[in-house]
Amino acid sequence: MADAPANLSYRQSHMTDETISTERPRRGFFAGASAQIGLFAIVALLWVIFSTLAPGFTSPINLFGIGRSLAVDIVIGFSQMVVLATGGMNLAVGSIGVCAVMLTGFLLQDAGVPIPVALAGGLLLGGALGWLNGFAIVKTGVNAFIITLASASLFLGAMLILSKAVPYNTLPPEIGQFGRMRLWGYVSPLIFIAIAIGAALYVLYRHTLLGRQILAAGANPRAAEMSGVPVGRVIIISHTLSGLLAATAGIMLVARLGAAMPSVGGEDWLLPSFLGPVLGGTLLAGGSVAVIGTMIGAALVTTIRSGLLVLQVGNFWLQLFLGLILLAAVMADRYRGVFLERRSLGRR
Amino acid sequence: MKLFSHAIRGLAASSILAGLASFGVVGLAQASDNKIALIPGGPHPYFAPWEQAAADAQKDFGIAAVDFKVPQEWKLNLQTELVESLAAQGYTAFGIFPGDAVGINSTMTELKDSSIPSAALAGCAQDPTDAAFCLGTDVYNSAYLGTKELIKAMGGKGAIVHLAGLLVDPNTTLRVKAVETAVGETNGEVTLLQTVADTDAQEAADQKINALLAAQKDEIGGMIATGYIPSVVASKSLRTLGDKRIKFIGIDDDPIVLEAIKDGFVAGTMAQNPYGQGYIGAYVLDLLAGGGCTIKEDATWIETPQTKRFIDSGTLVINADNLTTYKDDLKKVTTDIQSSFKDKYLTCQ
Repeated sequence: MADAPANLSYRQSHMTDETISTERPRRGFFAGASAQIGLFAIVALLWVIFSTLAPGFTSPINLFGIGRSLAVDIVIGFSQMVVLATGGMNLAVGSIGVCAVMLTGFLLQDAGVPIPVALAGGLLLGGALGWLNGFAIVKTGVNAFIITLASASLFLGAMLILSKAVPYNTLPPEIGQFGRMRLWGYVSPLIFIAIAIGAALYVLYRHTLLGRQILAAGANPRAAEMSGVPVGRVIIISHTLSGLLAATAGIMLVARLGAAMPSVGGEDWLLPSFLGPVLGGTLLAGGSVAVIGTMIGAALVTTIRSGLLVLQVGNFWLQLFLGLILLAAVMADRYRGVFLERRSLGRR
Repeated sequence: MKLFSHAIRGLAASSILAGLASFGVVGLAQASDNKIALIPGGPHPYFAPWEQAAADAQKDFGIAAVDFKVPQEWKLNLQTELVESLAAQGYTAFGIFPGDAVGINSTMTELKDSSIPSAALAGCAQDPTDAAFCLGTDVYNSAYLGTKELIKAMGGKGAIVHLAGLLVDPNTTLRVKAVETAVGETNGEVTLLQTVADTDAQEAADQKINALLAAQKDEIGGMIATGYIPSVVASKSLRTLGDKRIKFIGIDDDPIVLEAIKDGFVAGTMAQNPYGQGYIGAYVLDLLAGGGCTIKEDATWIETPQTKRFIDSGTLVINADNLTTYKDDLKKVTTDIQSSFKDKYLTCQ
């Protein structure tokens, strides 16, 4: 029992934009907020550089493309972030996403059900597969890494067997039209879905008991358990939420492509699912989430990718530059964090 | 704050420019002002001739720019992001090998909505599609002719193996059918011993083809490959084995396959026309992007399972007889298609 407050206090110094209840929430919040301001400054600086060097970067067609990719990347990031909060991880986000994609496609095209029912079906499947992951982790006590690594292959294999890898490409036209919709000429409505999900998650982690229980379980499961937090239940809920968010990202891709394809998701989602949250300040060890940080982290990656493409940096150099810039961004952010911490200690 | 004001200024300037362009103040592109991009699905040796085709088309047809742009990996999202970024830079037409026959369609629709024509080159987009047309190899015909050539090389009897590409690729289904049809026409003289699928990746091809030869070498009278990589791998394996008894027909003109034909380890290979696909594609896209021509709806298109607007870019057998002259034959095919394209498939003002 005595460990819990000490541990929470330690975690608190690493909080970003959300934190479980602490003795000094204001300071934790502002420390986290300043971390995101630093990341945002880097994104803004890159926007200035790219828009100055390549005028096409701020053209409506590119802004629309950036917004749409960003929306999907943010939700993929959220689907990982919610399990990182518990100190776990979900390597099956891509597999769950593609299962939801194919079920939605089947319901829309072959079963001919109304669009809302098909979307609900895809989301439900995502949630159910996430629940299975959580249930298996809690009941077996095996690390989330192993369980979700296995389930990623299991879900993907089952999807391929059932669908025979045949895409659904005659979906109702409204689906594709929504994905191509441009508000004010260059804004994709998908970005508002990502923002709405972000707002809901922010409320969950910052203002609800369940959110605080999830973070407490992630910070120190033993201490949380002894404090009355149902750790097993919150892990299952987090994985269910992760599956639901992965399905949401998958359905957003269905709208983007106007088709349900077995080639989306899978392993391709792993990197973006970790990049956004980790760059944004979510701790891999658990106990802390950064909703706004995840959004800015995803924006950083999308900006770099799009900027380098518009600058016509040789396509084969793109990966190298992406790695270098990400490393530089993280180092700069780390240096800024250390600097703030030292300054803060100096004032005491 | 300065950073923000700069960013907002950059954004505002671009928005104004885009607005001016949409009202025609900046000026409409003339045919010679077009910027055309030829984009494969990802890095693959098949598309290497597109680079030369782009340069030649730019020079021969006086196009402002024809560029060969390769996505860094064979992934649909990387291809669509590349297309979007090039459109943002003012490219006026796109010749695309679809990274995914279905998935590319939304991008092609968006290009069409922005009055940017696109065509599927070397591989088709699945109907319904907004690709203006598909210029590629008639895969069924190529596999059928290749199998006939193999049967001829085998003396009209024996057992053959088909080394096929990805099972989920609709073209593989067509090729399998074509091989079966050609075999069926021999009234049992030739039998299809096995179809080995999913061999269009280096590791898979190495494992499957070498295992096949190790286990069934004596039963196999001939092999046909309908994918680039199994074609190269089988050519190498037969050379390593020193086996000239097994007759083999490959696909495409990789130097390893051509060298094996020269040395008698391979009977022949089915040439495709990637250069012609890039060259003719750029020529037609220039006409479409200039605004002077539109696609003729009632043209004599070939209908395939993927699309109703298919044009065969030509195929021929390369063997020991035409090893040194086949490039001239392909050039002639390219010239013939290009010179008659306007009359056959376009309506021009």
